[in-house]
Amino acid sequence: MTSGVIHEIREFTTHDGPGVRTTVFLKGCPLRCAWCHNPEGLSPEPQTMRTARGERTVGRRYTAEQVAAILNRQAAILRSNGGGVTFSGGEPLLQAPFVEDIIGRLSNVHVVLDTSGYATESRFRRVAGMSQLVYFDLKLVDREAHIRYTGADNAPILANLRALSSMDVPFVIRVPLVPGVTDTGANLRAIAGIAGSLAGLVRVDLLPYHRAAGGKYAGLGMEFLPSWNEAQPANADVEPFLAAAVPVSVASGDIRLAREPERI
Amino acid sequence: MLATELAPGFLTRTCSFSTARLDSMRNRIRDGAHRIYRSAESPDVLPECEAEGLGWPRRVARAFRRVCEAETPVVLPGERILFTRTTPGIPPLYRDGEWKTLTGGSTLHELGPISNICADWGFVLGQGLLERRRVAMETASRPGHDERALEFLACAIETIDAVLALVDRYAETARKMGLTGLAAILEKVPGRPPETFHEALQALRILHAMVWLEGHYHVGLGRFDQYMWPYLEGDLESGRITLAGAEELLAEFFISLNKDSDLYPGVQQGDNGQTIMLGGVRHDGSPAVNELTAMAIRVALYTNMIDPKINLRISADTDLSLLGLAGELTRNGLGFPQYSNDEVVIPALVKHGYDLEDARDYTVAACWEFIIPGKGMEVVNTGAVSLPLAADKAIRQGLSADVGFEAILGRAADNIRERVFELADKYRRLLLPPAPYYSVLMEGCLENGRDLSRGLKYNNFGLHAAASANAADALAAVKRFVFDERSVTADELLEALDGNFENHESLRRRLTEDAPKVGNDEEADQLMVRLFEFVAEACEAIEDNGRGGKMRPGTGSAMYYIWLARGEPGDAAPPIGATAEGRKRGEFFSANLAPSPNAAIRGPIGVLQAFSRIDYGRICNGGPITMELSDLSFRDEDSIAKCALLVRTFAQLGCQQLQLNALNAETLLDAKRHPELHRNLIVRVWGWSGYFCELAPEYQDHVVARQLYGL
Repeated sequence: MTSGVIHEIREFTTHDGPGVRTTVFLKGCPLRCAWCHNPEGLSPEPQTMRTARGERTVGRRYTAEQVAAILNRQAAILRSNGGGVTFSGGEPLLQAPFVEDIIGRLSNVHVVLDTSGYATESRFRRVAGMSQLVYFDLKLVDREAHIRYTGADNAPILANLRALSSMDVPFVIRVPLVPGVTDTGANLRAIAGIAGSLAGLVRVDLLPYHRAAGGKYAGLGMEFLPSWNEAQPANADVEPFLAAAVPVSVASGDIRLAREPERI
Repeated sequence: MLATELAPGFLTRTCSFSTARLDSMRNRIRDGAHRIYRSAESPDVLPECEAEGLGWPRRVARAFRRVCEAETPVVLPGERILFTRTTPGIPPLYRDGEWKTLTGGSTLHELGPISNICADWGFVLGQGLLERRRVAMETASRPGHDERALEFLACAIETIDAVLALVDRYAETARKMGLTGLAAILEKVPGRPPETFHEALQALRILHAMVWLEGHYHVGLGRFDQYMWPYLEGDLESGRITLAGAEELLAEFFISLNKDSDLYPGVQQGDNGQTIMLGGVRHDGSPAVNELTAMAIRVALYTNMIDPKINLRISADTDLSLLGLAGELTRNGLGFPQYSNDEVVIPALVKHGYDLEDARDYTVAACWEFIIPGKGMEVVNTGAVSLPLAADKAIRQGLSADVGFEAILGRAADNIRERVFELADKYRRLLLPPAPYYSVLMEGCLENGRDLSRGLKYNNFGLHAAASANAADALAAVKRFVFDERSVTADELLEALDGNFENHESLRRRLTEDAPKVGNDEEADQLMVRLFEFVAEACEAIEDNGRGGKMRPGTGSAMYYIWLARGEPGDAAPPIGATAEGRKRGEFFSANLAPSPNAAIRGPIGVLQAFSRIDYGRICNGGPITMELSDLSFRDEDSIAKCALLVRTFAQLGCQQLQLNALNAETLLDAKRHPELHRNLIVRVWGWSGYFCELAPEYQDHVVARQLYGL
């Protein structure tokens, strides 16, 4: 049986897919996005995080059986509320065999895979094929810019996106709008161009970026150094998508509270 | 997919009246502008009471009359529902020494006067005070009544006359000001029964405010959408009023309930028990939701004030669109509605001896305790059983004595029983002061010549079995580490507890992070269930509470999540040291039914599943599952729909009561630093909503530190 490291299992995540959902955040990510909101998801190992209330451990090793047991106990509730389970991260495909093992043990639960798409195509196809919906992050189309801001080449991501389009799994492209980085006219037009050619695409979600993850980074002994102007509002321009006849939506409010709320 | 199921907009969410008049009224009342009309002092009735040698009931009636006489009619700019209190205090009825003699050896409930119950407002509106007076006269004229009964009836009549005289002066003032419409209403109600929605609201405003003037507090408003609907329905059918007109009147009534928050006694300002109950079923069991149910929620969305505190009775079948509308209130951060599950509450009340028709008519007292309007003289808050203390004593003594885990549980049961009996013994000596005016508003008092203080149809007591999750987690940690795994020795744990985990940080982290927790782990959940069984067994062993009632155990904590953790001057329960769930001395417990504050919990589903395991047939004093959702959970229509689904899940799982609060921790912290910028920020405290900036720091800190779900 496989085991893996999970950063958190969080219930009632209202923005991770349809209906009432529980999200499994897998720990470890191959990308190093400069704007990452979940720095505790980067390292694949459990870590100690300092908070204002003292230290706590982030990340715990589970067997697939344990995770499936937790999820199956609430499967009926998730099902009757039009929801299911979302696998997110970190990057869930970094622990693809573990995720497959968990999904294989779930009893009739709707699965969303929330991925950066950065994985080998065989891993990507296997897990996506076991999912009912894929949330696919697309950040930057320009290869150089992608390397600069995420530390990785986007070629595997674009290849997996095309692979996804050839599978029978509906998907949503999610674009984090980082001011001056991902929200440029050129990048949005390039994304719209790709999106317009993809079969199986449900829509594109634009996720305006508001605040940085300063506090969490410090708690993990890491540094957060944004090179963009955080105060600048994101350019949530839907025009390129409408022009390409791609359904598009803009999320309201913060996507995720980046800073760990200060505790008393 | 969900959006269509919910049919957003099916129930209108925004009021249709033009709000300029009420915007200004609401702001002036928040600013306290009307308080300049208050006199500095209340009348001194002691000299005349002593000169005339009046007994207790007569003194209550006399004081009430003098306060009514001292009231100055005030008509605030633009008001259409009148009454503004101008006498700030309730006069003392006895000198200190005499009071001690009178009450010595007895138990007074909290501050003394009857509180935390609910009148039968529909019944009184339907009769009018003149009819109530006639009933009193008729009862007095029937033979067979003793002196005590005749005195009570005379006192009740004195209070009715005092109210009517005050209302006459209001009518006169209105007429002098040229407000002929208002004058005509006040010449009619509350003496005679109202016939329109406006008349009914005006009558209720006066009848309710007068209860406070008799010295009572936590004065509930009951099933508002039931007893007020006939008046509104009649107006709407006949075209006497438009929907917008009705909303505007209702909004003004709601605002008027906020005039005197500062005068209401409570543990914290805002803890004033002005609850209303909406929805549910009728006496025959058919659904009771009507147009006023939704209107009350809509109007509360507009007024956005701490009163009235809204409760909603639901079932697994409740329309999702109504839950969605209710979710809008939660999104506003008001901390209400609080939900009660009819399918759980009604059978439990029946099991506790309530007639089915009465059980179907339940409302809540100040916070969450289930009571029957007009038929219950129940004392639902006799005190708390500290479950963490019961568990902690059992753990420490049991580990020292080297007994097994079941024996530790047995000791916890003993400790619980001891505390329950202690409360029961204390309240066997309960002394309730006479309440002639409040009696007028109840069923049977005037009819039988018996003051409310002598009891009504239902006379049960209630207690709060507080901080159950902390107690269960402590037991679960001991079971797992000391007994099952044997990875921690008894001595090691005892030493760590005695030393408040100084030099035992790694053990404290294990207890916090690796032990089973209520909300995450079925074993911990089951220990919590066991603790409630112990409480129920102890309560069931009390056959008569001394007033012909029972002792009802509940799941609420009231303010005890702070008092029991830190100690409170004047409260009998001793504070507690460090506890085995990894909690250091002085750290708070969780409020009501909620996982321990330091437990890492996956979220609302596990929490609902955990608390659905309690046998609510035996545990029926009320006390909600208390959950804080991130306000980000509510940022769009789709999220509100999901919150509605969560509430329905609560009902489907067979839980009893739920309060949801939408919080933004950063806003709260900013409000601590800059209260002047957050004057109107409202939070749910334990069973009521108050202005964050008016809370004492420890209550503010507890709200900030609560677990936040659903990011």
